[in-house]
Amino acid sequence: MTTVAAVNEPATRARPARRLILPGAAVAALTLLTSCAKDAPQDTFQPKGENARDINNLQRWPFIIAGIVLVIVTVAVFICVIKFRDRGQTAMPKQTHGKPALEIMLTILPAIILLGIGIPTVSTLFKLAKTSDTQCIINVTGQQWWWEYDYPVQDGCGGITEPIVTSGQIVIPAGEHVLLKIASRDVIHSFWIPALNGKKDAVPGRVHSLRLEADQPGIYAGQCTEFCGLSHAYMRMEAVALDSAGFETWKANQLEPYASPTDADAKEGEATFLTQCSRCHQVNGIIGGDGQPVISRPDQYVYSGAAPNLTNLMTRTDFAGASFDLLTPECKDKLWKAKPADFTQLYLAGVTPECFDAVNLREWLRDAPGKKPMYTNTNELGPTDGKTRGMPNLNLSEDQIDQIISFLTERK
Amino acid sequence: MFTTGSKLFLGATVLSLAGTIIYGASQDGGPVGTLGLFTVTVVFAFLAGINFYVRDSNVSAMDTDGIESSPAAHVAPARSMWPLIGGAGVALVPVGLVAGKAVVWIAVIVIMIATVEWMVQSWSESASGDVDYNRSIRRRILHPLELPILGAVGLGLIIFSFSRIMLRLPSAAGAVVFGGIAAGVLLFGSLIASKRTVARSLVAALCTIGALGLVGAGVASAVAGGRHIEKHEIPSFEEGTCGADTSGESDEDTSRAIAAKSNLAATITLEGGKLRAQVTGVPGNVDVVTLPRSTDSFIRFRNLDDGKYRLVINLGKEVVDPKAEQKTYREVKECTQAVGEGGTQFIIIKAALPSPGADAPEEEQFSFTVPGVDTSLGIVVP
Repeated sequence: MTTVAAVNEPATRARPARRLILPGAAVAALTLLTSCAKDAPQDTFQPKGENARDINNLQRWPFIIAGIVLVIVTVAVFICVIKFRDRGQTAMPKQTHGKPALEIMLTILPAIILLGIGIPTVSTLFKLAKTSDTQCIINVTGQQWWWEYDYPVQDGCGGITEPIVTSGQIVIPAGEHVLLKIASRDVIHSFWIPALNGKKDAVPGRVHSLRLEADQPGIYAGQCTEFCGLSHAYMRMEAVALDSAGFETWKANQLEPYASPTDADAKEGEATFLTQCSRCHQVNGIIGGDGQPVISRPDQYVYSGAAPNLTNLMTRTDFAGASFDLLTPECKDKLWKAKPADFTQLYLAGVTPECFDAVNLREWLRDAPGKKPMYTNTNELGPTDGKTRGMPNLNLSEDQIDQIISFLTERK
Repeated sequence: MFTTGSKLFLGATVLSLAGTIIYGASQDGGPVGTLGLFTVTVVFAFLAGINFYVRDSNVSAMDTDGIESSPAAHVAPARSMWPLIGGAGVALVPVGLVAGKAVVWIAVIVIMIATVEWMVQSWSESASGDVDYNRSIRRRILHPLELPILGAVGLGLIIFSFSRIMLRLPSAAGAVVFGGIAAGVLLFGSLIASKRTVARSLVAALCTIGALGLVGAGVASAVAGGRHIEKHEIPSFEEGTCGADTSGESDEDTSRAIAAKSNLAATITLEGGKLRAQVTGVPGNVDVVTLPRSTDSFIRFRNLDDGKYRLVINLGKEVVDPKAEQKTYREVKECTQAVGEGGTQFIIIKAALPSPGADAPEEEQFSFTVPGVDTSLGIVVP
């Protein structure tokens, strides 16, 4: 019995290994296939701007060289393992100590490779840090869990005489050298639009610069890449590049004076907005009960001291940290897949009644922390002196939600 | 009747008891010190009792009749330097009372060391009739204390001497000397390591000469005094009170200032009675500086004019108490310290409120101003 078992043992041990070959090959094939994905908006290997292209050009050759080195080393290891395996010989193999020619070559070759990588790396670093060719400046401020973009008064960006504030989507003129000045109001975040440039941390109390340039009009996705708390995964960002005429139109639209609502529901919504929302959210030009323009004070209620400016909410296509769409899936798909020549007009049309999908906005107004996790439990706000991190549930009635949606859909 | 060991601890018990009483009476019975000294007394008493009970663990001493009836085989006490050192310590006390507190502390430390050393030496000499054995028990008791303390003092002396030498040398020569000494130590170590046999006395002599040379040079450097070093004042980071000036000009070479300069929202310069602003990434000067709302912004103020000036940042007005029926307002204003010609100050500001529109009256606009100079620059907070 013992002999039979011993004879059979190698065969039974080999079976599980063979069974693993097929699933292993399938996993490897699937992993390789993911690199063929066409709809990958955050693919670093598909640069759409000068800076991202510089980074891509820089990483390509080291990857190729590293791949060749990997293959050479792996093949050499396999040859050594197979050729010099233990064949049961008892004699001690020949021992060698030191081979100067080989050692010198193995020192010089990596040094040459490192030099070859180091020179273009340093040169690219300087190029990416250049600010002297700036044509447009935008302040980018991160907070839990959304990005604010303000366009300071400047001669750049085609001239800005009054500041523009927006959030979620940063709108830039295509083909221009844009300089972002990145800061944070609460914790460390990281700004990253892979198609346009590398990452840059947003650190409280510091201002970091990042160049951004898009070759053509289009929309480019990004994601906060520094873990920043509960809803880090919902802290997305999008860069929208418009042609220069379109950018001028967008700027003019952002500075249009406030238009009072015309629709009855929207008028009710304005009143509800003033009592419930305007403490934190600014709508430029809205007049309060005392006849004075209402100035929001998010610094008194929110830990970061800021809440998204909703003056032109319907000119952007999503909200709450670019996490939830205002467009129907069909309209969103059409916008994201639009050709550069058609994109600007499509984007400037904003959220049209045909394309508006109220579901996300309704759910958000019904229970914001339920849709996007935030620190709004009053029992746990001691460390922030009673201030929330994010938007609390305002316990609005369904009628109030409808009215506010009517009011907001007119904010174009 | 009492053994040698128990006599030592009995004496220590009496001494610490006396210390407890004196300290307790003079310090109005301060609980911590008095309790600590009393604990020491109890410990000494306990040790004295144990030594007395076990007769110093000396079997022959158990025969009390023998000890009392036969003469002890004591050796003559060796010469000791400790009375001399103790005396010097005592003499230092009155000197210190005149010269300063530090000398008194040194005198007290010297007296304590001399007392302990002399006491243990005397005790060990009467422990037995064997001189070598007596010496060994002294070493066993005192070496765990002496060696670490002497090592720390010696090391401290060398480090202190070295630091005096480096402070005395010109800053450029310091790096050369530092490298030279390090190379010398390396060379010395290499030479010793390369020799198959080296006389211990030779190494000890060379080390002693090196240490003495270092300490001697250190003392000479300390006496000569350090080189002149420019005072680096920290930059002023104001908290928003426009009160009286309390600090001098900041030094742009300090690390905090360098960090601030790498992080500027704007540099405001006063030159020829006019203010100008520079913003990172914007070529030339700007007339209006846009600052993000509710975000810390670093501002640098440079005064290139003759006279002392400060930058004032006017950020409008805010309601004192939002819940009050009658609203009252206060000015939101932040200032740097005043700086002379060529001076620089830094300030961190955080605007909680947005600036008014361009059509608002001039006195409501946010601005940079300099008291005493008719000039201003606009601030916009979105």
